[in-house]
Amino acid sequence: MPQVSRYLTIYISFIKFSLITELSFKINFLIKIFVELLWLSILIIFYEILFSNTDNIAHWSREQYLFFIGCHYMLGGIIESLFLENCANFTELVRSGDLDTYLLKPIDEQFIITTKKIDWSTLPNIIQGIAIMIYALAVNPKWTFELTQFLMFVITFTCGLTITYSFLLMLCSTSVWIIRNQSMMELWWLFSTLMRYPKEIFNDSWAHSIGWFLTFVIPALIVINIPASTMIRKFLHPYSVLWMGICTGLFMFASRKLFKFALTSYRSASS
Amino acid sequence: MSGIIEAYNLTKTYRVHQKQPGLIGSLKGLFRREYKLIQAVENISFTIQPQEMVGFLGPNGAGKTTTLKILSGLIYPTSGRAVVLGYTPWERPDSFRRQFSLIMGQKNQLWWDLPAEDSFRLHREIYSIDRKSYKNTLDELTELFDVKKLIRQPVRELSLGERMKMELIAALLHSPRLLLLDEPTIGLDIIAQITIQNSLKEYNTKKGITMLLTSHYMKDIEALCTRVLVIAHGKLFYDGPLRGIIEKFGQYKQVRLRFAGDQLPANLNRFGSVSATGPIVELKVDRDKVASALAQILTQHTIVDMSVQDPPLDQIIAKVFEHAKTNSVPREFIETPQTA
Repeated sequence: MPQVSRYLTIYISFIKFSLITELSFKINFLIKIFVELLWLSILIIFYEILFSNTDNIAHWSREQYLFFIGCHYMLGGIIESLFLENCANFTELVRSGDLDTYLLKPIDEQFIITTKKIDWSTLPNIIQGIAIMIYALAVNPKWTFELTQFLMFVITFTCGLTITYSFLLMLCSTSVWIIRNQSMMELWWLFSTLMRYPKEIFNDSWAHSIGWFLTFVIPALIVINIPASTMIRKFLHPYSVLWMGICTGLFMFASRKLFKFALTSYRSASS
Repeated sequence: MSGIIEAYNLTKTYRVHQKQPGLIGSLKGLFRREYKLIQAVENISFTIQPQEMVGFLGPNGAGKTTTLKILSGLIYPTSGRAVVLGYTPWERPDSFRRQFSLIMGQKNQLWWDLPAEDSFRLHREIYSIDRKSYKNTLDELTELFDVKKLIRQPVRELSLGERMKMELIAALLHSPRLLLLDEPTIGLDIIAQITIQNSLKEYNTKKGITMLLTSHYMKDIEALCTRVLVIAHGKLFYDGPLRGIIEKFGQYKQVRLRFAGDQLPANLNRFGSVSATGPIVELKVDRDKVASALAQILTQHTIVDMSVQDPPLDQIIAKVFEHAKTNSVPREFIETPQTA
């Protein structure tokens, strides 16, 4: 417990310091928030255009898919606010040798490297995601609240978040060998884009193998699909949940191992 | 007594990509890469005892920083063994990292846009320093480095010298037993250099901290270290007292004489090389012949003022580096510790 409280106190300092830093450049901060709002608006307009032409997409109704979008937006908001900038910056830390100062601290390296900076300007995305989800549930006449279902949503959403974070960590770990790692970060955006489609769109024969690959090899499709289905469609296949649990464990374990192994190859650029 | 740092045959080899010049060279590199093995550190062994202040000297690329990085656990050696504070450094347990600090003159560990005090508080949490000790140590250190009034100023608005003092405070807040310093005074003006030298010396006297210091400023080494390690081309070339290196490589002494009257005596060059500015003459006299040369000059001429000095350390060290380039390591210069 003292360790948990120590890490919590350190994390609160990171949150505070990041906010102070962001606020000292307030114009940049406001522009970033504006850009995020613009992104959300474009997404909702795109969604409205889609549903003005059809009643459902791969058996997802208008309200259900809106919830799906909210869920994706919230997960993306959490990753972008808490981890993305840190992981993207890892390449620069390796290239410049500034990683040295992190490795010297008596603290878990993964913790300090992936959580030091909080991107406050993308934090409103989480609130927007929650707001969209609440709205989608409110306008859905068939949906009623059930505690078990809500708890299952929280658990599967956390699993999805863990898989995404672990995937990001694995990508950024490769920076130690590649040094300039923009292409790997492009893979992250690909993963993030693939997460936002219902897996049923891959049901056609020729697309089936892609869907299989994105479920069982690089499980981008389960990250949002399973928690969103759990909450809005009351559909919870035990094997899906089991697979999500296995993926979470595997990804956590593999990403931690890869990160630790990568650090052993760190060359520390000359001072 | 076992050393606070024990290094046994440390070797670090890097595989470095060799790129041919131009676009064609870059395209070739896409298909077939050529690599070269660079021996950054080769079979280095030494021991440092608690409370010692040791200078680590060598030309650029000699392997000083690489050795410091191995000893602080940042990189793994290709072969060899090291025990620092009783730990294998590259295993990096928290209990090891709590007991030392590495300061690199060109790297910044403080939050750039925040006052240094905020970074110090974060250090308190990371190193689990209790509030009372933190307050006492911070008071003591800000007084020692004379920066009490600056700790609430954003780091980006501090001068380079002030920033380095803050870096040193951050490094000493958890009262480490070992301080590794890599060019701590690089880019600083002479006043800041002297302040930092004095503060480090005072801190060593008070707390008995062990220091291993690399610097290209020989004034740092002269002010702080009694023992030096000289490394060249990855190999340890000299390990011994600073005085020893001066005696070995500074074969002459600088004798400065001011003669009465305007006329300079003839035949001074029989004592050594001569350079004269007005009535002042500077003689480079062989170390063994200084006493007899002075005795002769004093009996034959009227001297108004005189001084006898070692040549500047920079010149001696440059000579050592030059010697190291062309000669293998003289074994008598190094006391190799017993291999454990």
